[in-house]
Amino acid sequence: MLSFLGRSVIQKTVTLFFVSVVSFLIIHLAPGNPSQVDPMNPKFTPEMVERFQKEFHLDKPLYTQYLFFYRDLFTGKTVSWKDNQSVLKKIWERFLNSLPLFIVGTILTWTLSFPIGIRSAIFRGGVYDRSATFLAYLLISIPGFFFAYILIIFVVTHFHVPVIGMETFGLGASSWPHVVMDRVWHLLLPSVLGATGGIAVLSRYVRSQMLEVEGQDYVRTAKAKGLSPEQVHYKHALRNALLPFVTMFGLILPGLIGGSVIIESIFSWPGMGRMAYEAILARDYPLILTVNFVSAVLVLAGSILW
Amino acid sequence: MTTRRVLIFVPTIIVLILLQSYFWVPTYDQQTRGNPERLHEYIAASIGDASILNPTLSADSASSDINSKVFEGLIDRDEDLRFRGRLATSWKVHEEAYFYVDESVDIPGLGKAGAEEIVNLIKEAKKEGHASEPGLKASLDLIEKISIIPPREFTVIRRVKDPKNEKREAEVKIRIKAPQRIKFTLSRVDQDLFRNLSKLFGSNYFASFKGEKFLSTEPEVDKKNLAAYAGELVPATEHNPALVFHLRPNVRFHDGHVFDAGDVRFTFEAIMNPKNLSPRIADYEPVKAVEVIDPLTVRIIYKRLYSPAIGTWGMGILPEHLLNDQALKAEAVRLGKDPNAFSMRHSSFNRSPVGCGPFVFRAWKSDQYINLERFDDYWDGPPNYDSYMFRIIPDLLTQEMEFYAGTIDNYGVQPHQVKRLKTDPRFQSFSGTSFGYTYIGYNMRRKPFDDPRVRRALGMAIDVDKIIDYVLYGQGESMTGPFVKQTDYYNHKIRPLPYDPQGALKLLEEAGWRRNTEGWLEKEGQKLQFTLITNSGNDLRKAILAIAQDAWKQIGIDVRTDLLEWSVFLQERVDKADFDALILGWSMGIEPDLYQIWHSSQTHPHQLNFVGFKNREADDLIIKIRQEYDHDKQVRYCHRLHDIIAREQPYTFLYVGKWTAILDKRIVIKKVDDAGNVHYKKIKPTKTGNYSFYFNKWIKLREAPGFEPDG
Repeated sequence: MLSFLGRSVIQKTVTLFFVSVVSFLIIHLAPGNPSQVDPMNPKFTPEMVERFQKEFHLDKPLYTQYLFFYRDLFTGKTVSWKDNQSVLKKIWERFLNSLPLFIVGTILTWTLSFPIGIRSAIFRGGVYDRSATFLAYLLISIPGFFFAYILIIFVVTHFHVPVIGMETFGLGASSWPHVVMDRVWHLLLPSVLGATGGIAVLSRYVRSQMLEVEGQDYVRTAKAKGLSPEQVHYKHALRNALLPFVTMFGLILPGLIGGSVIIESIFSWPGMGRMAYEAILARDYPLILTVNFVSAVLVLAGSILW
Repeated sequence: MTTRRVLIFVPTIIVLILLQSYFWVPTYDQQTRGNPERLHEYIAASIGDASILNPTLSADSASSDINSKVFEGLIDRDEDLRFRGRLATSWKVHEEAYFYVDESVDIPGLGKAGAEEIVNLIKEAKKEGHASEPGLKASLDLIEKISIIPPREFTVIRRVKDPKNEKREAEVKIRIKAPQRIKFTLSRVDQDLFRNLSKLFGSNYFASFKGEKFLSTEPEVDKKNLAAYAGELVPATEHNPALVFHLRPNVRFHDGHVFDAGDVRFTFEAIMNPKNLSPRIADYEPVKAVEVIDPLTVRIIYKRLYSPAIGTWGMGILPEHLLNDQALKAEAVRLGKDPNAFSMRHSSFNRSPVGCGPFVFRAWKSDQYINLERFDDYWDGPPNYDSYMFRIIPDLLTQEMEFYAGTIDNYGVQPHQVKRLKTDPRFQSFSGTSFGYTYIGYNMRRKPFDDPRVRRALGMAIDVDKIIDYVLYGQGESMTGPFVKQTDYYNHKIRPLPYDPQGALKLLEEAGWRRNTEGWLEKEGQKLQFTLITNSGNDLRKAILAIAQDAWKQIGIDVRTDLLEWSVFLQERVDKADFDALILGWSMGIEPDLYQIWHSSQTHPHQLNFVGFKNREADDLIIKIRQEYDHDKQVRYCHRLHDIIAREQPYTFLYVGKWTAILDKRIVIKKVDDAGNVHYKKIKPTKTGNYSFYFNKWIKLREAPGFEPDG
């Protein structure tokens, strides 16, 4: 076991190194300049641009820049070019904002998908199965941003409540139950929205996995023993169908850091995904690369056991 | 069975918890739920963030929104667009006028005369009355004092480019021996003074004066330069209008420092200081001097007649004690920067301003919000709101949603939404015409646009009402000339061009254009053909481009169109006057000064009269409007100028846009009378449609009140 772990860690480290090189190259070779050194930006004089380039080693060859960047990253000194704040601190703050969205969304997805998918599998071809299939494909095919806008417009015009952002603007002086509940309310739409998409996909997997298992001998045996349908499906069949989902669960870890770019942007949620997106638009290299590196680490960590 | 139950109950409970929070959140109808402070706070929204909170340096609308709340000017405009005093309690305009005595010219009935004799002549004439010459009499009546300035000698040094070596500068020493000069003090500004006086002195008296005689330069310069120096240093006549402001006593800045005349002079100097790169410098260039007479009186003397100058004193006044050289040096040292290179532009003042306006600056979170708090010591009584929030929301749909949810108090309605939202009983709505117009401009240097009949015909072929109905959803009005429609300067007697394609064809036929066998208009074998251009990225202009092309095609004109990227459009086409016709818009100020856009001297590359409009009478009127301080006369001149431009049709004036804004119905005007009774009144817009004119008296109530009928 130990030797397996050791080999795996070494392999992943090599992969990580290549990921870091490739992502560094892609970002630096992409067209466009950081807004602070863009000669087209009227806010900056040529002297300022030059000073900036020096300060951030942009005048050095790429491999030195690479070394500088990873030296700073591992000593925790990387700063964002936009506001000179520590990148790790920024990521941590935004991560905490994204976390509730992620947790609620994940719980909803990974609970509801199972009963929905299993029922579909049991009554395969029935009215329930057909309508569930239809709904699932509908939700998968509607673009997320469109669905989000429809939902926002519906809720706002019918209930006249604020839904955008993490909290109601200007709710500073209220009592704490109001503040907490306000936050919970703002969590509702984006997390449910994220979950519906997840449920639509995952319940399809559950259905097909269950279908495969339901035809097995031991399920028939269990039924023949006279076990209740609940026990047959949720104990004997489900346990055997679960295996691929363990892998899938490992793969949602990077979603923690990527967040949901679209949902966070539409709801003005100050989370990770939106930060990364805005950093890309502003060519804030240190921030992009750090987010990229951390998510690469998470992907590899999620798959370390196989 | 437990697994199944868990899988169903856990998400159900989570969703229920999420849903019940609805009952805790403030809704549009109950904005005070959990947050009673909401009624004392006004929340506005903007697409872009402010850039610099200093009225002398800012140039974007978000910054000026904030600046107008934090800073206060000497004057501003009241509901009817007349000036009213703010930091100034009153002001007076008078004039000092000068002319040089020319002893070589014969004066009718007097012969060659010196200063004393001329003064006597004027005094006599004043007594006599000259009832037969009403203009002369009016000018003479304005003269309060006449004095003689003795001859004087002085030297001026000018740095010019060395003609032999472009890079080096050479010094020119100019010695001036100026003759006697006569100074008038006039009770009002009179641009016709010298024109009228020449009835007394002979028509040539002022025109024949040669300043060159009194100059000697070292080294010698050519005649053209000498004449230029003479015109500047020894002008035959000179008007120096002067503005005297009496300032309001005991006004304080937000930090408690008392405002006085020094701050006014400092604000002026800050704008003129080249280190600060103020975008307002052109407005104040005609100022000769700002004199502090006593702490509550300041006099501004102008180099020449320039009536738009009065309006420039609406500029927010800066606190001298926080921004003078000493303060800036201290700040530079504190920040460890070079004190000599450190200017007002670098000061942290621009992110935490201090003025004497109704609101005190509190906080600015970039790209999120700017927060202001009311100033309890405001001289005009503190505002009713405790706090003013300026949110930055770049997405219009988000703004709209936030408005419906009650977390923004006003929303600028887009044209296609007007019909629906204007009648919504939950909101109060305001509309008005904007201060700008869209037009098609013709390059009058090129054929066939040099013929006014062609320009008129092109205008008549376009159905402007249809454009307004279908492109603007009815949110526009037609217009006929270059003045702001709500002001007196706009001549409402002029009818807009009718939509009349047949009439257009007739006009074109008069100009020699006839339809050929294929249906195209032709003159001397040449097809009527040109290119209409505009900038890309503006959907309205793009739509008009297609409509105009189609309308002109129907009467047989072959029009090509082109959309150009904004910078290419400006630099390559507009600035170089390399176009046939273009679609563009102007936004205007209230001042009727049209010099830059319509004067014939402004037709060169990079100037704004790019259509090449030249009209002698219009030129004359433009100058007169600029120099006239009397409102009624100005209006008369403007109406005449409007008439000329409408007749010449250098532009086809298309439309002026209309805006609509909606506001929470519970926002009202609150007034407390002397007995302490509170009255609530409905918000009414001013003549120009400005609904936030009484913003300081606004307050939000828990429920929309019923109003007493207007008596």
